[in-house]
Parts: sequence; structure tokens; C-alpha cells
Amino acid sequence: MIFVLLVLAGLFSILTLKQQHPTGEAAGRQVADFILSRYGRQARVLIVTRNTGEDIAFANVVAIRLKDAGAKVLDNVNGAAPDARRAIDSILASGGEIDAIAANDVTSKWPVYDRYPNVGSGKCVVPSSYLWPDFLKVSNLLGVANQTAIYAMIAIGMTMVIITGGIDLSVGSLVALASVGTAIMIRDGGGGANAGLVTVVGAAVAGIGICALAGAFNGFMITAFQIPPFIVTLSMMMMASGLSYRLSSGRSIPELPTSFFWLGRGETVGIPNPILLMIVLYIIAHVVMSRTVFGRYVYAIGGNSEAARLSGVPVNRILMSVYTICGALAGLGGIVLTSQLSAGDPKFGLMYELEVIAAVVVGGTSLMGGRGKIFGTLIGAFIIAIIKNGMNLKDVDPFNQKIVLGAVLMLAVLFDTLKRRNSRV
Amino acid sequence: MIRLSAIVLFVFGIAITGCSDSNRKTTTPDAPKTNDVVKSKGTIGFSALTLTNPFFKVIADNMKAEAEKHGYDLIVVSAERDVKTQADQVNEFIVKGVAAIVLNPCDSQSIGPAIQKANKAGIPVFTNDLKYDGNEGKVVCHVATENYQGGKLAGEAMVKLLKGTGGKVAIIHFPQAESCQLRVKGFTEIVNAHNTFSNGDKIEIVSTLDGGGARDEGFKAAKDAIEANPDLAAIFAINDPSGLGARSALESVAKQDQVTIIAFDGQLIGKQAIRDGKILCDPIQFPDRIGRSTVQQILKHFNGDEVPAEILIPSELYYKADADKDPELKQ
Repeated sequence: MIFVLLVLAGLFSILTLKQQHPTGEAAGRQVADFILSRYGRQARVLIVTRNTGEDIAFANVVAIRLKDAGAKVLDNVNGAAPDARRAIDSILASGGEIDAIAANDVTSKWPVYDRYPNVGSGKCVVPSSYLWPDFLKVSNLLGVANQTAIYAMIAIGMTMVIITGGIDLSVGSLVALASVGTAIMIRDGGGGANAGLVTVVGAAVAGIGICALAGAFNGFMITAFQIPPFIVTLSMMMMASGLSYRLSSGRSIPELPTSFFWLGRGETVGIPNPILLMIVLYIIAHVVMSRTVFGRYVYAIGGNSEAARLSGVPVNRILMSVYTICGALAGLGGIVLTSQLSAGDPKFGLMYELEVIAAVVVGGTSLMGGRGKIFGTLIGAFIIAIIKNGMNLKDVDPFNQKIVLGAVLMLAVLFDTLKRRNSRV
Repeated sequence: MIRLSAIVLFVFGIAITGCSDSNRKTTTPDAPKTNDVVKSKGTIGFSALTLTNPFFKVIADNMKAEAEKHGYDLIVVSAERDVKTQADQVNEFIVKGVAAIVLNPCDSQSIGPAIQKANKAGIPVFTNDLKYDGNEGKVVCHVATENYQGGKLAGEAMVKLLKGTGGKVAIIHFPQAESCQLRVKGFTEIVNAHNTFSNGDKIEIVSTLDGGGARDEGFKAAKDAIEANPDLAAIFAINDPSGLGARSALESVAKQDQVTIIAFDGQLIGKQAIRDGKILCDPIQFPDRIGRSTVQQILKHFNGDEVPAEILIPSELYYKADADKDPELKQ
């Protein structure tokens, strides 16, 4: 499975190979030196960059280097094209002349310079570009991991459920329920945007608790009345979705304090928190599933529920716990999503159940139950995410993307079937 | 097993390369650039609300045409009404380093962090049709139909229809959407103004019901309205689907000749209904103009001009006479 992931990563690295346009300090030095060597120390230079951290670093290095060499920096614009126009206007109005414009790829493409006959974009000096895949940019890789984190978290619970031979269709709606429930508790009970940390944590835990209860209810209906999980969780999916729309009157709830955004949008040692949370959860889940009695029981139930019962496995209790865990993780996913998007919204989680089931199946867990690995699911989630990301980076038509994703899922199930047949022989 | 997956991946790779447009434009500007080497001036990323609604497809197509006319590329993706999908798409636009981003926000609030992220990356964000209402990120310019003025047009059409006779009117509303609130506001104002000076031909708004902006909900709402007010004279529906739902409701109780419908939008189905006499008239929207105008604002912004925070495209009334001349309906 990991082999497929690596091949995909390699494939997209090659496919998204592209000229990259640097900015930042090193690029600034390069541009300043080029201007000095070409226009000499009497150069009159305008610096135009956007208002971003890297761009400002670029601009400052250019400015300092030019000034040190005795050249004249007419103005240092960090903003948008209209700011550049204003700067050029005032330079020309005071009788100044521009020899060169230190810019980067984006700002040099603004047509603003061509408004003036004696400026023109031909005066732009930009850093030289280099070849590097869009896919392998750190910002992209972190972005993909961050996007996948929520699906991957929910997929842990789903993997357990599917290993027992069941299915949980309610996770998408539980994401919405946790999101709306928590946001409403914070808004109505804790003072909305001014809520304190204790309220925020309390509301988040309560939101997860509600979803755990919903999961436990699923488990109860399945074990006590032998109703197929498909039907029970389908009903829960509708009820939870309806409830979250009802509670929120169909609107999003943005009245949340900034402390709430730490989980979804904050970073620890440069890595977004959702990714770290996902890694921690996967390690715990892996240990639970492979090293504990509970984990053995889950596999045993999926392998043969009747045999497990006769061997003394508390089947009903284990099933209850598995559905409860699945509900709680869906709730956690809802909290992270709410934190990431800074509002509670009943529209969240739409079709997540299918995304998550797809990740589990692509990750090699058998829908028949009894077989599957937690880390397989993580890889499955990333295979889907990387395919989506790669197709987006390559501008594949959105309708074609759906066809490809459907085909990938079909292939995953095909592999599963072939593997099963081979092992039986 | 591994051999099989390798083959699959190989085929898949070829498929991807085939599907995507391969005209990568690479300029390697080391030195001062000369003006004539500029091939693509940059890429604009557009995340549409959905591409299954023809309205947004028309916006996207016109944006593409306008962008290409001025040497820009346009990438269109569909968020399918999911905010998280849209936020992920914005993230990918940032990775690609697009020159500008255009959104139909899937939610007027929760798309804020994504806009803020684009702002931080120095990429200007524009919206059209749907507005961003939060205050986390900054949108350069919003282009949309002038819904308030469109509502007034609908009001004027209603006054023209019922002048001299007066009568009872029902509104099939969709109060969740701000655009529809503006439409109803404009409509009500004109009707009230008429009533102030009326001599015996008062237009009475007897009920305002939620039609969900959809055909099935509109059907139910209209049915309730006609049940409660058997002498209803006209209906104002805030869009074409709910107007057509109302029409079905009237037909089911054989009152289509007693009650006249005025709707909104000018979608193809609405225009056809106007041609067939099922709807009297629509204040119509111009998704083509919205799309073109959005790109024009982006170009103005890059050109260093100040761009207004909001551009409203006026609506126009569209009657059967217009439908008979409309080339769109002749195909």
C-alpha cells in the first residue's frame, strides 16, 4: 500500500514540475547585485512587492544593499498594484526618474508600469527562477496533510467499525452536529466571541460527548435488536443532520472566540495542530488495535461473530464501544473542522461518510470484516488526498476528477477481492 | 500484486497528463524583461459554488473568455457547496501561485480563514454573485446583480398588472438568502408606494411564505397561499424554480388563469415559461455580464486603478415579447 502512495507522490512530483519564482532574502541579494552591475551605483530604483512576509524580506534586503552601495531607492512599495501606481505617480510628479524596478514574478506582471511611457514593465528586474514541482512544496505537502487530517481521524473509528463487519453512515451528520452543538453552547452559554477557555473546552468536550452518545445509541440499536448497522446508522445520519439544521435554523454560527481556533488553525513547531492530533490518534489506535485484548476482540468479531461469542468474547459490549468511539471521533472531526473554518455550520460534513469509507477501503480494510490495519487507513486517506491534490494542481477538469476517484475506489475493491481469492487457494 | 498496481498507476499517469492542459508557460526572466515576450500574464483561479447550476457555468464561461482575451488563464474548480472543499481549493490556488482568486463563497462566514490565507499570501480575492459577510479577510471587489433594483422592477410590473383593479398578492420567499431579502424589499416598497396614492385599487400583500427557492417547496407554499386566499390575483416568486412550482400548484387547482406569476432570474427554464405564457415576466440577471465584469475589475486592479468595493449589475424586465426575440430560445 505504501508503495502505491510513494509511486503516486513520485508521479505527481514529475507532473507538476514547474518554474518556481523565488522571493525572500536570497532573491533580494541577487536582484540588488544585478541592478548594481547593470545600472551602476547611480541607479534610481523603485521596489515593488506584495504585502507578505517573504516579499517584505526581499524588499528590505534589496533596499539595504542598494543604499549601502550608494544607489537611490525611490520608494519601497509593499502592497497591490494601486499602491505601485500611487508611488510611481508621486515619483514622476516630483520630477524623478526610474532606472529599474526591483520586483518579483507576480508584481512584475502587473500591467501598471505600462501606463507610463517612460517606465514600462521592461524595467522590471526579477529573481531568476528554478525548476521544482508544485507538489513537493512544503506548503503544499502540509496543506494536503492538513486537509486530510479530519477525514483520517474519523476514518480510525470507521476502520474499527468496518473490521467488526459493520458500517457507520452517520459520521458526516455527526460532524455537523458536533460543529453546531459546540458553537451554540459557546454562543448562548459562554458569551460567544468573548467566551473563556474553560467554556470553550467544556463546549468542545460536550460536543464530542453528544456524538459519542449518538454512536452509543447506534451500537445499542444494533446489538439489542439485531437491526443491520446500515439501517441504524442511515437513520442516525438523517436524525443528526435534521437536528443540526434545526438547532442552527440552517445558518452558520460565527460567534466564536479566537482561543477556539487554536486546534484547527494553530501550529506547534511549524506543523499545523490537526496533523499532530491525527498522528497522535493513529499511534494510539494502532497500539489499541494490535496490542490490546480489545483490539483482538474487534478482529475476532469481524472474523466470525458467532465463534467469537462462543469463545467468550463480550460481543455486544465491544460493538457498543466501537460505535461509540466512531461517533466520538466524528465529533472530534467536527470540532477540528469548526475550528479550522471558524464557524459552526450544519452544512459541514456533507458526504464525509463516503470519503471516510473510501479511505478505509483503499487502505486495504475488507468490507466483509475481520481484516484491516489502522495505518493502512491512514495511507488510504493519503492516497485519495494526493490524487485529488495532484489533479487539482494539474488543472484536471472537476468532472473528470470524479470519474478518476470512482475508478480508484473500484480498483481498491478489486484488489481486495483478488487478494481474498488468492489467499483462499 | 505490485506488478498490477504498477500498470494501473502507469495508465493513470497517462490519463492525468492527457486530461490536463499541457500548455505550461514558462518564461525565465533573468534580466530585465522585454515587453514582447509576455505570453501568459498570469492565472486566475475561480472556485464556483457549483457547476451543476447553469447560472454559475455561464459566469465561469464568460470569465474564461474575458480572461483569455486579455492574456490571462482561468482555472475553474467547483466547490459543490462545501466550504471545506472551497477552503482546500483556495489553498491549492495559493500553492500554484495564481495572480488572483475569485470565489462564490459557499458560506458567507466560514470561508473567512481561507480568504485571510490568500490575503497573507498577497493574492487579491474577488467574489461574485454571493457575498462574503465576515471580517476576517479582505475582498477587493464583489460583483453581483442589483437585487434591490430588480425587486423594484418586479414591483413595478406588479403595479402595472393590477393598476385599476387592485387585488391580493402572495410572495414566495427564500428568506435565508440575503439576495432574496433585497428582492422582496424592493418589491414591497414599490407596492406600498402605489398603495399610498391608490384610489380603490390597493395591492394587498396577503401572505409571504418560504418557498425554499426550489420547485417542490414553491409548489407547497403556493398551494397553501391559494388555499388561504381563494381570490388571489398574483404571485411574486423570488426565483424561477419556485415560480414554476407555484405555476404547477395553480394548475393543480385550475386557477392558472386567475393568478398571474411574476418570478425572478431569467434562467432558461424561466425564459421558456415566459415565452409559453406560464410566467408573466422576470427581472432577469446577467451571469454573462457578472463574469465579464469580475475579470475586468481584476485587470483594473492589476493596472493600478482603484476598484469599487461592490459592483452591481442592474436587472432588466423580460416579457413574452422579449422571449419571442431571444436567440437563446431559438436553438
